[in-house]
Amino acid sequence: MITLDDVHKSYGKVKALRGVSLTVADGQITGLLGPNGAGKTTTLRIVYGVLAPDAGGGSVDGRDLVSSRAEAQRRLGVLPHAQGLYPRLTAREHLRYSGRLHGLEPGALERRIEELVGFLDMGEFADRRTEGLSHGQKVRVALARALVHDPANVVLDEPTSGLDVAGTRAMRALMRRLRDQGRCVLFSSHVMHEVSELCDRVVVIARGKVVATGTPQELRERTGSPTLEDAFVAIIGSEEGLE
Amino acid sequence: MRRRVFAAVLGKELLDNLRDRRAVLMALLFPLLGPTLMGVTLEVHGRSSRSSADKPLELPLLGREHAPNLAAFLEENGARLLPGPADPERAVRDGTADLVLSIPPEFGERLRAGRPAPVRLYSDRSRQQTQDSVERARKLLEAWSARTGAQRLAARGVSPVVAAPLAVESVDLSTPESRAALLLGIMPYFLILALFIGGMHVAIDTTAGERERQSLEPLLLHPVPRGAVVAAKIAATATFASVALIETFLGFGLLPLAVPMERFGFSIRLDPGVLVRCFVLVLPLLFLAAALMVVVAGRARSFKAAQASMSFVVIIPAFPSMILAIMPVKLERWMLFIPGFAEQVLFARLIRGEAVPLGHAALTMGATLALALLLVLAATRLFESEKIAFTG
Repeated sequence: MITLDDVHKSYGKVKALRGVSLTVADGQITGLLGPNGAGKTTTLRIVYGVLAPDAGGGSVDGRDLVSSRAEAQRRLGVLPHAQGLYPRLTAREHLRYSGRLHGLEPGALERRIEELVGFLDMGEFADRRTEGLSHGQKVRVALARALVHDPANVVLDEPTSGLDVAGTRAMRALMRRLRDQGRCVLFSSHVMHEVSELCDRVVVIARGKVVATGTPQELRERTGSPTLEDAFVAIIGSEEGLE
Repeated sequence: MRRRVFAAVLGKELLDNLRDRRAVLMALLFPLLGPTLMGVTLEVHGRSSRSSADKPLELPLLGREHAPNLAAFLEENGARLLPGPADPERAVRDGTADLVLSIPPEFGERLRAGRPAPVRLYSDRSRQQTQDSVERARKLLEAWSARTGAQRLAARGVSPVVAAPLAVESVDLSTPESRAALLLGIMPYFLILALFIGGMHVAIDTTAGERERQSLEPLLLHPVPRGAVVAAKIAATATFASVALIETFLGFGLLPLAVPMERFGFSIRLDPGVLVRCFVLVLPLLFLAAALMVVVAGRARSFKAAQASMSFVVIIPAFPSMILAIMPVKLERWMLFIPGFAEQVLFARLIRGEAVPLGHAALTMGATLALALLLVLAATRLFESEKIAFTG
């Protein structure tokens, strides 16, 4: 479970977040929906501990994001916006590096790597350097790396961006499987139909603030809109930055 | 946990950079430059200093007919007289002649009258390689002048000794070792340069390069102490630098085998003991260089910006060598506290075969190590700031 409580964050004079509070439950997929520049990535970066909040706080499974950063990070698997792979290392070496940084036992780590290579169907390129991989294959490597320590919480920043139809469908199927395993899944997106199709709960964020939360159904009913897209436009009062 | 993270990051950085051709070439090829350059210099220097002494002095002479006596003297004393060019100034300026001796028509008349007879020796002082010939020509002219003067005094019944109140004898005390030490002066510079160049690519790749690939964010979202990550990156840099350093030492150590220097009147004895002492002396500087480069590259916005700043960092160790080359410095105590400079001064002493007191070495190593630790702290702070992970 992930919580944020009244988080503020500024970059110089620019106020990126102005009081973001949210609760992401286990066994659910929660979508962080918002137009470009609304503060989605900043929110996620504060969750996974590479940014510290200026005010407010949060926790992962009860571990404080600031005072117990390492403990909180241990419980998170993260797919950042950029995959950030090392071109000269193979897929398997990426998983091994991440596993060692998480402190996994060598034997258990190798078994886990085999498991993930099977789970994400990476057999044919697991021992190739990532510089030669396709975008979809790179995303799978990055995702496998995020899952190497079997985290209870998974955070994905725009996970389907740049993927083709098959890749997008595979990614969605995978997120459902992660939810069905009982994990807490939080992802950001500005793609409307993706969110309405996938999410158990939606958190709508605009201009650094949470403007609505609920199931897609609830959001439609609350605004009296036929589709989530209309609901969304009604909530944030603008169509800017949507797809 | 620190040790585990350190080992994981160090192992990954070494593997990653060993697969990077540029990093490996920088560490392996560059160190060959110093010993090679010195070998070639010694070979060329030895050859030219030997050959110029054996060769007759080639002297273009203008107006030979005005001074047949002088010309005969020059030829007797090993000069090969060539017909002089019509325009001596231009010939010397163009470099078609190293020097030209010109005798004006009034030479004979002035000589007979017992007044100083003018001769003109054209040369270009800025051309180092002609200095030997110019010096030899001047000596011959002075010898002829002295002999003629002595004859005049004798003709007047005065002993020529009267006109020579001074008898200057120069005694050259340079030894083959000290002559060699002059050339060995460039060795400390190459040793220190190897420290920087050997690890430079790794320092950039693991900091600015990691950020440019956007792989720093995935790394920092692991539950890792930033200090351990930074320490591992510095250690990876130092590992590559130490390979370059060891190679440079081996190169200089093996140089006497490749270039038989005794033949040229040099003797270079770089016995293994001296090399080992130099190596130990430089170890703290190895860490300082690695930490400095990680700080500089870590602050750079991109790989290219890091390379640009790094070219300045590499120039820093050149300054002490330049100063030492231009003016030999008497070692003062405070100099021992200047990292990089002190090492080069002490190197130069060790190489010349002079003793370096243990206290001096300890002070120098201590001062360098202290600065290195400060830089490690600075690098850690840099990686703890949240700006580090993102470009721009």
